[in-house]
Amino acid sequence: MRLLLVEDDVMLASGIKLGLTDAGYAVDWVGSGERAEEVLLAESFDAAVIDIGLPGMDGLELTRRLRRPEMAQPSMPVLILTARDALHDRVQGLDLGADDYLVKPYELPELLARLRALLRRSQAATTAVLSFGPLELDAAHRTAGIRAADGMAGVAAASAWPGMQHGGAVPRVHALELGPREWTVLEYLMIHAPKPASKDKLLQALTGWDKEITPNAVEVYVSRLRSKLEPHGVALRSIRGFGYRLELRPASPPG
Amino acid sequence: MTSDLRNRLLLLLLAPLCLLALAGAWLDYRSADEAAGRHDQRLMRLLPALADSILSPAITEEGEPLLLLAPPVEEFLRQNGGTSGFSVLDLKGRVLLGDDWLGNAVPTTQVPEFHSVEHDRVLYRVAVQRSHTGAGELVVALADGSDPRQQWGRQMLLRVLLPNLALIAAAALAIHWAVRRAFKPLVELAEAVERRSPRDLSPIDEAASPAEVRPLVDSLNRLFALVNAQAESQRRFVADAAHQLRTPLAGLQAQVEAWALAARGGAAGAAGAQSSDLMPDVASARVPLAQGAIVLGAEEIEKLRQATRRTSKLAHQLLALSRADARNLDALAPQSVDLKALCESLLEDFLDAATAKGLDLGLEVAPARTHGHGWLLRELLSNLVDNAIQYTPCGGTVTLRCGMEAGSAFLQVEDDGPGVPEAERGRVMQRFYRLPGSAGEGTGLGLPIADEIARAHQAELALGQGARGQGLLVSVRFAA
Repeated sequence: MRLLLVEDDVMLASGIKLGLTDAGYAVDWVGSGERAEEVLLAESFDAAVIDIGLPGMDGLELTRRLRRPEMAQPSMPVLILTARDALHDRVQGLDLGADDYLVKPYELPELLARLRALLRRSQAATTAVLSFGPLELDAAHRTAGIRAADGMAGVAAASAWPGMQHGGAVPRVHALELGPREWTVLEYLMIHAPKPASKDKLLQALTGWDKEITPNAVEVYVSRLRSKLEPHGVALRSIRGFGYRLELRPASPPG
Repeated sequence: MTSDLRNRLLLLLLAPLCLLALAGAWLDYRSADEAAGRHDQRLMRLLPALADSILSPAITEEGEPLLLLAPPVEEFLRQNGGTSGFSVLDLKGRVLLGDDWLGNAVPTTQVPEFHSVEHDRVLYRVAVQRSHTGAGELVVALADGSDPRQQWGRQMLLRVLLPNLALIAAAALAIHWAVRRAFKPLVELAEAVERRSPRDLSPIDEAASPAEVRPLVDSLNRLFALVNAQAESQRRFVADAAHQLRTPLAGLQAQVEAWALAARGGAAGAAGAQSSDLMPDVASARVPLAQGAIVLGAEEIEKLRQATRRTSKLAHQLLALSRADARNLDALAPQSVDLKALCESLLEDFLDAATAKGLDLGLEVAPARTHGHGWLLRELLSNLVDNAIQYTPCGGTVTLRCGMEAGSAFLQVEDDGPGVPEAERGRVMQRFYRLPGSAGEGTGLGLPIADEIARAHQAELALGQGARGQGLLVSVRFAA
């Protein structure tokens, strides 16, 4: 995974770069929007992390420009860094083509999680395969499966995002049998992981299938999914009063 | 202020009034006394004339002595009409002539005696004397009901006390009214100043105040302007300082975070997949040891990271606090803020922190909207949730609520942690105050910021006890 980091503060940039490199990404760092534009004309990256407050051309303008068709990769996911008190910028940023924003002061694990989610979504858009831990969802074939894992320690310490390096071409040990509604729920959860998905949103996703669906139905599908996923170390945690979130747990003995 | 002045004025005026009344009474008494002395003299002078009026004894045993009133006595009796009288008694006290009621004690000597007798509700001054008359030794008595000394006592109440009391009462009323009237502009000014919030230091309208207090208004306005300028420059300094601090701190934090992640990755790789549910792909790479490098343990890096996070949070909070100031907000138009969406978004933000601490973070939300500044309300709620997560021990519950009640929106954050004792609830709103013995890495700014933001939104922030008798319940009630 190759990332472009656009940040003018050397200290901050080197910290982020260190963290991202540690997490297994290849990071190219530029200090200004103008320089970033130059680089982006020639080279392609999997994602860009852009600070809004750049000298000269600011992050918002850069985001707008890198969506132009002459860029090497106009559909590249963009994560914007912004100060919390300048949050109204974020709406503008998202309008101009940023995919997500992160508010300073943020912590590195949060940045990594957001990046992973961004990359997963963009990956799914191009390869139609979503993955979360050992779990893989092939949107083109509407199939789901649990990828072979060489022990949980391997998953935990594996580099950036194992699922992406292999695409959907991994031999499956276990194919999951999912009903169409279960599939819809799981797809929604996976797209949003590690963020939680609200019950309302899941309900909306399901109404495409069934007009008279009740909130209880969401619970039914979630509990069915849960029994199918939990033996493989993927938990579907309930968030009280809100919804559900996919999480990885140390696997119980495979059932 | 005015009642004090009123009392003082009343006292200052009443004391001389009372003295005057006393002096008046005394003078009155003196003159009455003199007049009474003159009356006695007159009676005494008339007694011999009365005695001389008795010309001869009675002809029969039961008859009256022959009396021909001397002109002075006759004149006296005629002048004083109903309020005078005379009598002639024999030595046994029997009334021979004149008014029956004037006759009791018989003097033993020939010296005239004076006493007072009440008859027919009139006090009479009576002069009695034994004297030789044409009918032998008899007792003659003259009574005068116009005795000023007698009347003085009776009239004292009417003539002196009552007018004085009336005067005093009238003076009290007049003072009360006048002071109230005179001080009305001052009282209004005081009320206007009192009604202001400590943040409202805008000048008072000089034109609306009367000329007498205009100099006061003027100096108050000057003071306001000074305080305003000072507060403004202080606020700007804090904002600038915090802003300037934020960038290097963010850099520091990024560095330390990267080290911590690397260190933890190494440790996790060694120990097996501990605490890695949320970060399945932490790399195990270590920073290679270069020349002159020192080695820091994972624990030391973690400490460094905590300290950096705390400092960075503090800088952020200081900035938020200075931005939350109502005066800065007036320039921005308030927008409609969806509180339910805000709660949900904060749940997402804090889910990892809560999960890491083993807390059950949940929502109880109903649709609710209020007018305000979205980013500030987010700051408010985020400080409350941050506090709840920080102070609730592992395994506890933190709940965010929002909804409408009686037409006004509310936000609540409830935890089942140690709570805040009632006696401390006022003090935890003070900046940089932390509960004695409280754990965690708080800055003592979370609640003050939340409170400040609530005020800027005309909302009321209140601390209470959690539903199950423990923990803290922070409620923010917006104006309807």
